[in-house]
Amino acid sequence: MAARDIIPEAEDAKMNMTPMIDMTFLLVVFFMLTIDLSSKEFFPVELPYATEGIEDKTDETAEIKRFVINITRDGKIYFKDNEFDLASEDPGVQDDNIVALRTALRQIHEAGGGVIMREKDGASKVPVMIHADWGTKWKYVQWVMQACAHPDIKIYKLQFAVKKPPTDDE
Amino acid sequence: MDLRIEEPQETELNMTPMIDIVFQLIIFFLLSLKFKTIDRRIESMLPDDRGLQSIPETPVDEQKIKFKVFRRELASPTNAYTLIKLDNAAQFRLPAGWKGRRLESADRVKQYDAVLATITESLRTRIATYGGMPDAVKGEIVAPPPHGGAVPHGDVVSLLNTFIDVGLMDVRFEGTANPLNKADSAARR
Repeated sequence: MAARDIIPEAEDAKMNMTPMIDMTFLLVVFFMLTIDLSSKEFFPVELPYATEGIEDKTDETAEIKRFVINITRDGKIYFKDNEFDLASEDPGVQDDNIVALRTALRQIHEAGGGVIMREKDGASKVPVMIHADWGTKWKYVQWVMQACAHPDIKIYKLQFAVKKPPTDDE
Repeated sequence: MDLRIEEPQETELNMTPMIDIVFQLIIFFLLSLKFKTIDRRIESMLPDDRGLQSIPETPVDEQKIKFKVFRRELASPTNAYTLIKLDNAAQFRLPAGWKGRRLESADRVKQYDAVLATITESLRTRIATYGGMPDAVKGEIVAPPPHGGAVPHGDVVSLLNTFIDVGLMDVRFEGTANPLNKADSAARR
């Protein structure tokens, strides 16, 4: 029983939490700063592939932010939290949706948010990105392009969102 | 009477709930962190000289290369394919039942790319007959209704890509007018 006398009784061990909390707060701050809420404007679609696409660098300093018009495979359009269904069986509903899309586009130009969105000749300064699924019927894309080019709206700058095809070694 | 004031005990902050919350926050931000979904784009301009009006026939001396696209066998998803006509002369056929690059086997992707490569080659030959100056040539992608409208967006973008590939940057789209262009709905505009 001599051994027990030699080993000192284990003290209440305490972990030092401070460095862990420091690191954790740093992580929280990092994620808060890097989180990009604007990516919500992109609806998840399967983009078409193109080898000649240019790198998409969003310019945060640009005076006017581009509009993103999402088109899903089943012909639904998502633009600024609004849904416009172009694939409806009823041509009347299609008409209404195209008119509604135009109205939405025009109202944004009129509201402006303190920025002049039009050139002197009335053409819009805003580029529109068509963020469409590769399987979207082309006519829906065309209708959207026609809505943009409508005399009331006059959006002529257009971008197609594409993906770079994966290379063989990937 | 014992008047001694008790010595204050060492106070300790209970860290556990705070750490719990902070971890929750980390997990939330981790999960909501979304990486960029688009990495590329193709710039394009809509014609500002036309709007929705019909335009007079283009002058005949204009150097033009025209793709006509159709979707065939629409009723069957496994047989539907895109037919491409180059200036009403050459014809190309993209693989039937194409489900998108990510979902197809490597062989089928190769087949798809091979068709596009032949199209690019034909474009180069055409441009060579125009003196090898792609800047002076206009491209056109026409999707005649009704079957042109059913061509997948991805195929049209692939064709657009072949134009850009050969250096032809002036491309015009033509095709299905939206329902509102019909005369019967003119009053609604």
